[in-house]
Amino acid sequence: MNSNVWVLTFADGISIATTLILASLGAIITERSGVINLGIEGMLLMGAVTAFLVGDGTHNIWLALFLAVLVGMAMATVHAVLTITLRSNQIVSGLALVIFGTGLSQFIGKSVEGKPRPVRIEPIDFGALSDIPIIGPVVFNHDPITYLTWVGALIASWYLFRTRPGLVLRATGDAPATVDAQGVSVAAVRYAHTIAGGALVGLAGGWFMLARGTAWSQAATTNGIGWIALALVVFAAWRPLRAIIGAVLFGFTLQVPYTLQGQQIRIFPPEILQMLPYLATLAVLVVLSTPRARRLLGAPTMLGQPFVRDER
Amino acid sequence: MTNASPEAAQGSHRVSGAALFALSARRVTKRFPGILANDRVDFDLAVGEVHTLLGENGAGKSTLASVLCGLYKPDEGAVLRNGTQVRLTSPRHGLLNGIAMVHQHFRLVDRFTVAENVVLGHRRLPFLLRASELESQVAEMAERFGLPIDPRATVGELSAGQRQRVEIVKALYQGAEILLLDEPTALLAPPEVEKLFETVRAMTATGKSVVFVSHKLGEVVDISDRITVMRDGRVTGSVKRGEADTRQLAELMVGRDINLARRLSRSAKGEPLLALDNVTLHRHGSDIVKKISLNVCAGEIVGVAGVSGNGQRELAELVTGLQVPSSGSITIREVSINGIGARQVRANGLAYVPEDRLGTGLAPSLTIVDNLVLTRTRGFFVNRRAAQVEAEDFITQLEIKTPSALTQTRKLSGGNAQKVLLAREIFSKGDQSRIIVVCSPTRGLDVGAVETVHKLLDEARSAGKAVLLISEDLDEVLTLADRILVLYRGEVVHEVNGISVDVEAVGHAMAGLS
Amino acid sequence: MIIGRTRIELEPRLNSPRWLVLAVPLASVFLALSVGGIFLMLNGHSPVQTYSKLLSSGYTTFYGITDTLGLATPLICTGLAAAFAFRMNLFNIGEEGQMYLGMIGGAWAGIALADHLPALVAVPVVLAIGALTGGLWVLVPAVLRAKLGTSEIVSTLLLNYVALNLVNYFIFGSRGFFRDPSTSFPQGRAVSANARLGNFGTTNTYPTLVIAALLAIVLWWFIRNSNYGYETSVYADSPNTARYAGMNATRLTISVLLVSGALAGLGGAMYVVGPAGKVDPGLLQIGLGYAGIVVASLARYNFVAVVITAILFAGLRIGGAALQISSNPVPIAIAVVLQGSVLLFALGGEIFRRNRIRIRRTQPVVFSTKADA
Repeated sequence: MNSNVWVLTFADGISIATTLILASLGAIITERSGVINLGIEGMLLMGAVTAFLVGDGTHNIWLALFLAVLVGMAMATVHAVLTITLRSNQIVSGLALVIFGTGLSQFIGKSVEGKPRPVRIEPIDFGALSDIPIIGPVVFNHDPITYLTWVGALIASWYLFRTRPGLVLRATGDAPATVDAQGVSVAAVRYAHTIAGGALVGLAGGWFMLARGTAWSQAATTNGIGWIALALVVFAAWRPLRAIIGAVLFGFTLQVPYTLQGQQIRIFPPEILQMLPYLATLAVLVVLSTPRARRLLGAPTMLGQPFVRDER
Repeated sequence: MTNASPEAAQGSHRVSGAALFALSARRVTKRFPGILANDRVDFDLAVGEVHTLLGENGAGKSTLASVLCGLYKPDEGAVLRNGTQVRLTSPRHGLLNGIAMVHQHFRLVDRFTVAENVVLGHRRLPFLLRASELESQVAEMAERFGLPIDPRATVGELSAGQRQRVEIVKALYQGAEILLLDEPTALLAPPEVEKLFETVRAMTATGKSVVFVSHKLGEVVDISDRITVMRDGRVTGSVKRGEADTRQLAELMVGRDINLARRLSRSAKGEPLLALDNVTLHRHGSDIVKKISLNVCAGEIVGVAGVSGNGQRELAELVTGLQVPSSGSITIREVSINGIGARQVRANGLAYVPEDRLGTGLAPSLTIVDNLVLTRTRGFFVNRRAAQVEAEDFITQLEIKTPSALTQTRKLSGGNAQKVLLAREIFSKGDQSRIIVVCSPTRGLDVGAVETVHKLLDEARSAGKAVLLISEDLDEVLTLADRILVLYRGEVVHEVNGISVDVEAVGHAMAGLS
Repeated sequence: MIIGRTRIELEPRLNSPRWLVLAVPLASVFLALSVGGIFLMLNGHSPVQTYSKLLSSGYTTFYGITDTLGLATPLICTGLAAAFAFRMNLFNIGEEGQMYLGMIGGAWAGIALADHLPALVAVPVVLAIGALTGGLWVLVPAVLRAKLGTSEIVSTLLLNYVALNLVNYFIFGSRGFFRDPSTSFPQGRAVSANARLGNFGTTNTYPTLVIAALLAIVLWWFIRNSNYGYETSVYADSPNTARYAGMNATRLTISVLLVSGALAGLGGAMYVVGPAGKVDPGLLQIGLGYAGIVVASLARYNFVAVVITAILFAGLRIGGAALQISSNPVPIAIAVVLQGSVLLFALGGEIFRRNRIRIRRTQPVVFSTKADA
């Protein structure tokens, strides 16, 4: 194995990027339909604890991940019902989900508090390929889900920009009245994509637990990575391929402090370094806020607004 | 041969000849709360014809068009397509029958390209979209209909005329044979209007049929094969090209008995309090308000008539300081108020009764008392006690029906809300409002409330205030105004003294002919 | 919404009947307790026993009540902060970070200034500087929102994490100003005794509670009677009306967000003046900023109701803590679950307060397609 520490950091960054990519893809799909779901952090935790418990009970990785996906969908359904049918405030609903998810995951995870991870999603053994300098650890050292996630992002991008349902999805987020006038149910599009987004987030949490987590611990499991994913969506201007780039960047910056500590390099304190992803996103937000940029690259125009048709 | 004489179009039950019409309405009646929008209307559209529905606001033409495309369901009567009755349940259903309406306010996705907008929602769109394929499809189709557009352009960056073209291409792409265009020239600059007419000619040449819904007689008279005039929900006449001149058409459109109870000033007017000199407002590449000069004297009501959408709202906002003129000056008692802001303008003695009562003039969830303080000067603390006394005064004086002065304004009926609004703006302490700008004050009100409002405006005039009345209700303007100006496309096109007003000339001017 | 032939319609109500205003929160609590009860049962605990212990620990014992009131103190501040902003549709999610900055700012004043100030003045100064710091932390998102329309949701949220890392840096990552010089154990430097208020007896309740409650009343009165409060009420109700009346939207937006940040910062400063006496990373674990948003939402942005709701929620947390160490331990997380559930149900219930349900039967639809000529 190549011992260049920075290469390893980068490889590690790519690994953790999987969670970020999955979660932000879920958020992108949801937000493209016009619904903002802030509950991602709570859904990640619920996905993580579900995967842990199922893995603990059955030692079956795929079943664990599958149930994590279902849990994510269930939580997303609650949000969908509240915001789409009952027209509640989307911000508050999402936050309520975070609180609920945080609490519930801690609650049901109490019985396995501190217990080490029962099963591990192993990286694929590529044999000699992983010994290639630089490319080896970066490309050939990941588990199947990570590779599928990258493919998934490609599929998401293709779906959004090259298919009919993707066109309708984008139109729903920008101009639901237009879509409605075409006889398409805005509510149906929103439900479908909110729940699909929830599935991806649940998977993100489950994967995180089983691939990178060491033990179930209530305090330090996901550590706000859900919020980073939400910021990542803005950074990526709601485009899946850019989300990959952002996720890798963010993933790298998240790992850098650990590497620096390990190498005894102390130019910047680790805590300051950990601020970087957030400050960087804030800077990008500003840039993306100019009216022209906002119109062409920015949020779906009607994001966060409930759609009510004028009845005649 | 088709029986297209005015009598046949008006009220005949004979369905003979209807089979040759692409689209027809037979005794269509549509009611809304308090209004009979369409009263047994008959209408025929022949294949390849350009047929204009002409009328002022409230004439019922937009309602009829909405019925014809499936947006509304008629309460009585029938819609026929190629002679067979169809019961249209939705615009989508209308489209299935080849009928499409292009609305005044476009339904497009700004962020998408032209091609994406055109194909959006088309049922037979393939699952996989190839942008280049779509674009060439759309471009080819647009060429065929003589509407060149760039399929790759982003809609958000197009002009109003180009967007309208996209809407038309979209309708055609989805199989429309009949196009209903609602006030299509409202948002267009004159050169774009020409382009639109070229487009329409190209379409009818290929067998499409077009209905123009418009009040702009001057514009449509050349392009129309037939014109059906409506007023107050009824068809007043239907003529073929060349059968009637513009005066006759204007009369059909606007003609009314002038036996209105007119309220005219009984005293001489004072000096000019409000003056506009060559005021222009330039927005989005065109002049929404163009070189307007007018003045309003103390003790006079100046009425600005015109069909809505001709710059009335912008004029009101310019005068009241909510928008800044691009050029020209607005003065109150010879002091310029350009750009000093709405609050300052009010402090200079101007009151404003906007058209939108509950959404703009009043804060709906706040109480009557709280709303009373809205346009008054307030200190660091809000003095509600004084306002409450005043509110209770108004409630008694004007007979405002409300449980109390602390009722939320959104619980009041339209008429009562308007009374609150007027009371606040017209009557204020210390002679604060000398100039009053009122916009469509009696829209949607019942006869009794209309009476009260007119009485209040009359009293304001007698008290020496200068009143600028901007209203799309011509009757109202004729009733109250000492001088009448007609607004068309942002310009004052006609000015007349209230005493000896020639209603036909006014109607003419409102329709864009001078 | 159409199910088969039945159409369920929502008709906006003109009048919210009085009983509904109380019924919705009560029903939400009841439903939340039921949901929590299900999870409790699945975990082998008796809901009835658990709830009775929860409620009694938080609300009936002397130390329970005082602990609750103590925890409620900063929560009232963050609740007020959220209510102040949210009622204007300005979603300041950054109360957490603004509170931390208030803690930092207050501690700074407590260390650097308090010794040089007379005792009477020191505490108000610390609180004021804490509030100021909290306000400063929201300044950038506020300006971005007012001038560029950038969503304040994401910007304030990001700053939460920067603030969190800042606190961690001051305590764990450096040996600077905020670190206690007398020990190598990472903890905050104590502020001057001048800057502290003593607790009531042996309880965890501090006089800052009184300040917070009074503040709520003052704010309520201020919003009702001042011109500024009036303008925010108009703007919150109808921005078009505010524009018509010549109100300055930019000024209102920025100032409301600044006040909101200052209120959250005040909560952090109160934490220093009261229980903590220093920069305390323990504050980072409780999530009072986010809880403040829940409290504000349940209180429907009414400042006086925020006080009551904050006390209720604090009681849940204290009760939950007691449950955790009781003879039949229940994870403290149940309190958080209940919090989240109550809010979810209350959100759902809102629609019934605003609308009436109407059930109609639709006529079967008959339409003819294009007929052959």
